[in-house]
Amino acid sequence: MGFTLVAPERPEEACEILASAAPGQVAVLAGGTDLLLDLDSGRSHPDRVLSLRRLPWRSLQWNGPTLTIGSTLPLSEIEVDPVVRARIPGLWDAIHGVGSLQLRHRATLGGNLGRASPTSDLIPMLLALDASVEIVGVQGIRSVPVDEFVLASRSTALRVGELIASISIPEARPSAYVWQRVRPSNDISQVGVAVARASRAPFWRVALGGVTPRPVRLPEAERELRAERPLTPEVVRAAEAAATHAPFATDKRATETYRRQLVGVLVRRAIAMVSAPLDRPVGWA
Amino acid sequence: MPAGSTRVNGAPVDLSEVPDDERLLDTLRWRLALRGTKEGCRTGDCGACTVLLDGRSALSCLTLTHEVEGASVTTVEAIANGRIGEAVRDAFIAEGAAQCGYCTPGFVVALTGLLAERRASTPVSDLLEEMGGNLCRCTGYGTIGRAIVRAREAIR
Ligand SMILES: Cc1cc2nc3c(=O)[nH]c(=O)nc-3n(C[C@H](O)[C@H](O)[C@H](O)COP(=O)(O)OP(=O)(O)OC[C@H]3O[C@@H](n4cnc5c(N)ncnc54)[C@H](O)[C@@H]3O)c2cc1C
Ligand code: FES
Ligand code: FES
Repeated sequence: MGFTLVAPERPEEACEILASAAPGQVAVLAGGTDLLLDLDSGRSHPDRVLSLRRLPWRSLQWNGPTLTIGSTLPLSEIEVDPVVRARIPGLWDAIHGVGSLQLRHRATLGGNLGRASPTSDLIPMLLALDASVEIVGVQGIRSVPVDEFVLASRSTALRVGELIASISIPEARPSAYVWQRVRPSNDISQVGVAVARASRAPFWRVALGGVTPRPVRLPEAERELRAERPLTPEVVRAAEAAATHAPFATDKRATETYRRQLVGVLVRRAIAMVSAPLDRPVGWA
Repeated sequence: MPAGSTRVNGAPVDLSEVPDDERLLDTLRWRLALRGTKEGCRTGDCGACTVLLDGRSALSCLTLTHEVEGASVTTVEAIANGRIGEAVRDAFIAEGAAQCGYCTPGFVVALTGLLAERRASTPVSDLLEEMGGNLCRCTGYGTIGRAIVRAREAIR
């Protein structure tokens, strides 16, 4: 390894450091739960590591209907916010399912998007919530929908000298995230399903993780869900569409056949959770 | 290079001699000779390296030492100085919740952080779920589960 660690206080300084370096020379560190594994495996071998810990991005703010989450806020801080849990239950589901509590005390939303894993549990939920990524760079600030930000595994729309400052969710939505794993903690989801209901038609968003090459929304399933409160036949058609059209592949975690079988069940379960939220607990019991 | 200091178990520790790429786990074990914190996997999977950072559980194997500049680190050596940590330690002893003991520091530290963070009225099932980041390879989870229940009762 043998890198130097730099921890600037101002975003402009951080972007400058990135912009003036050759590709691969500087690695970005938020919670480090992905990056440190890449350093150990030798996949990343930077001269410098740029720590984001002093940047003023550990915030969580509602502006009217919009929730803006700072990129470096630990996931556990989002999870303990009772308003987030009550108003966007699917975001709570997705975050609560990440790794373990020890991990979530340091892992961040910015890091999850930066890694852009096809098995991310957070990107599907952000897709279903129509979230966007606010980016700062040497050229200024821009905002990109998550759908255009995530390109493939380890590949994002970030340009040289750019960092994720925050993530914005335009409105609170009834929502749910359900997953299937071998172990509930510290395991990677074989399939993850995010469902959210928007305030206006078209109401439904269905997004998937555990697909290649990146988490996706599934318009074929969404189209089957017309009503704000869909009846069973619509839900069954949506689940079938998901099983037919999801870009699943076979890998060491599951076969394509198993994933297709599974996704139908998870889609139905997630829609049921969104449609009948009454028995969902709110706040720590 | 960001120099600075941190507190480990209450005592100030100067970080200026610590290399930038050193992990907190290695600083604790090899620089400060606090060998209670264990290395099981070094990949975030086992929880044996759990310490408290400002009272919150964290994985010292996935944390660069300089990243905790200004924070207060608590390891298993000092965990029983607090009321909750003492109750957790006593519960693990009373239930005999260790065989080789390698995972025990991680469990004790993680449970102390968890009970401090959540109300003691948190359902046992939630506590057991939140302890999923700690693995034991030998004593079995029966005694550990009972120690968790006992510690929760003791601090209610
Ligand atoms: C044991 C274990 C279990 C895990 N379980 C899960 C799980 O269940 N679900 C899941 O989705 N993930 C899981 N992960 C993966 C990981 O914890 C998450 O992706 C986490 O959200 C990453 O956040 P971080 O802050 O630690 O990222 P870091 O490691 O700090 O960064 C990850 C990448 O993003 C880049 N980056 C970070 N922040 C920014 C920024 N602000 N701007 C630009 N680029 C940035 C970094 O350069 C790096 O390439 C797990 C990891 C481990 C080790
Ligand atoms: S050694 Fe850190 S989690 Fe296993
Ligand atoms: S007591 Fe041996 S690993 Fe847990």
